[in-house]
Amino acid sequence: MIEIKNFTFTYRESAEPVVQDINLTIPAGSFVGITGAAGSGKSTLTYAMNGIIPHCYPGDFYGSVMVDGLDTCETGLTDLSQIVGSVCQDIDSQIVTSIVEDEMLYGLENFGVSHREISARVDEALADMGIADLRDRVIASLSGGQKQKLAIASILALKPKVLVLDEPTAELDPASSLQVFQLLARYARDHGTTVVVVEQKIALLSQFADMLVIVDNGRIRFADTPANVLAHSEELLEIGVNCPRSTTLMNRLAFDGIYNGPVCRNVEDACDALIEVLGHSAADNQMASLTEDEVIA
Amino acid sequence: MNGFLEYVPGTSLLHRMNPVAKLLFAVLFAITCFCTGNLVFLCAMLVFALALAASCGMMKQTFGLMKAVFVFSLILAILLIFTTPTGDRLIDLPWGYIGTGSILAAVTTIVRLEAAAIPLFLTFYVTKMSDLSNSVVKVLHVPYKYAFTFSSTVHFIPVFMNDMKGIMEAQTARGVEFDVGGIVNKIRLMVPLCVPLLVSSVRKTNSAAIAAEVRGFNLRTRDSGYKQYPFAAFDVAAMVLAVLLLAAAICITVFL
Repeated sequence: MIEIKNFTFTYRESAEPVVQDINLTIPAGSFVGITGAAGSGKSTLTYAMNGIIPHCYPGDFYGSVMVDGLDTCETGLTDLSQIVGSVCQDIDSQIVTSIVEDEMLYGLENFGVSHREISARVDEALADMGIADLRDRVIASLSGGQKQKLAIASILALKPKVLVLDEPTAELDPASSLQVFQLLARYARDHGTTVVVVEQKIALLSQFADMLVIVDNGRIRFADTPANVLAHSEELLEIGVNCPRSTTLMNRLAFDGIYNGPVCRNVEDACDALIEVLGHSAADNQMASLTEDEVIA
Repeated sequence: MNGFLEYVPGTSLLHRMNPVAKLLFAVLFAITCFCTGNLVFLCAMLVFALALAASCGMMKQTFGLMKAVFVFSLILAILLIFTTPTGDRLIDLPWGYIGTGSILAAVTTIVRLEAAAIPLFLTFYVTKMSDLSNSVVKVLHVPYKYAFTFSSTVHFIPVFMNDMKGIMEAQTARGVEFDVGGIVNKIRLMVPLCVPLLVSSVRKTNSAAIAAEVRGFNLRTRDSGYKQYPFAAFDVAAMVLAVLLLAAAICITVFL
């Protein structure tokens, strides 16, 4: 669905390339998580995927970015937008109307969605994001998290083939973040939507993504399954990416030779692995009296 | 009070009226106020405007507007008092005099501006900005980009005001004292803050333009709008009333 070849980009006002020698293939229907330290070029990579680069931010563009068979340099931003739905980092700037319902309608009206279908799409997207009760609210009165949910809902309603989201859960609490990731995973699974998420919450990425891309200083350091990427916890830490605590713990045990199973991506994996290591009988007695946090500690 | 030009929800007749009818009524009402200098008629228009405000529960906000308009119109009124030497002589001036006509002209100006402003003010507060822009595109065939520019400008006013508030709070936390030394000191301290506000405003505006474009701004046509804006009987009645008021004002000016 997305194919990036030898992509290097330098913003007009900057001397050094922000991203360089990027090669990445994202299959249709996959859920890809991109993470990395601040300023590593993650957002620039998303701008290349949704066509904002080169159409809105001028600079030196080398290589090629193909989305659904279209070259982003040769295809207009409006045409690309009918394939790629984007949620930007700055939510206030993304919102163009004053009322929640109008914000939902904006893209649907512009893309010529049948008026008979519009109402159902708005209802579905608002319900999916859990903000159906906010439909008639003035956007200025919403909290940051509610605005973020609205921004995501307004893009989900468009049902694009590709979703590119830049830190979509930055203003959300843990429960809402989990809800958003579950929803994105459902869109990828049920609708075949290709989902690309830039996110700092690596625990969520590793839980839901099919592929984890680690960007370091403008280059892709790792692009593989979460399990394979998280196996490099020491290297990830060096470039400013923290692994989930359960992964770090089990990787340390593996390093010490105590554990030699697959990489653990979350608490459940770690519990299973510890039960395996400690032996079922001993573990059954001990684990029964421990909470998950105590196990990690 | 809500933010500047921020929609106030409600179910009054004014809320339910067609946005175009509201806008045309307000514009004709304002023109009517400027078509006559008859103080009695203008006072009647002001009372009518206040009744409209009361009908949609906007009296408090309307008095706030009247206060602001009064300050502005007072400047004009003072100018008129000193530059319109008509009527019975009250006070002699080196270049003329202040007469009863001067006072009447000043009062007329204040009443006229107050009366003309209220319906326009109400129109923006009881109509969703998107309804207003979509309806003028659909009904009056105004190009969408102009309507969008206007609605976006209004949309961003509270955003920029919040930004300014945030910048001022950050400066206050660093020891800048905005609350001492009066308005002059406050303005003096605020001027340097306009630079970061301007930078963030330009950045936000650019991001908003991109956001609109990636959501199909360029594909929008006059028929894209989902909502319909039919004219009901009271919309037609309101416009007929506005025309009658205008005709009455012209008649009073011509025949009295």
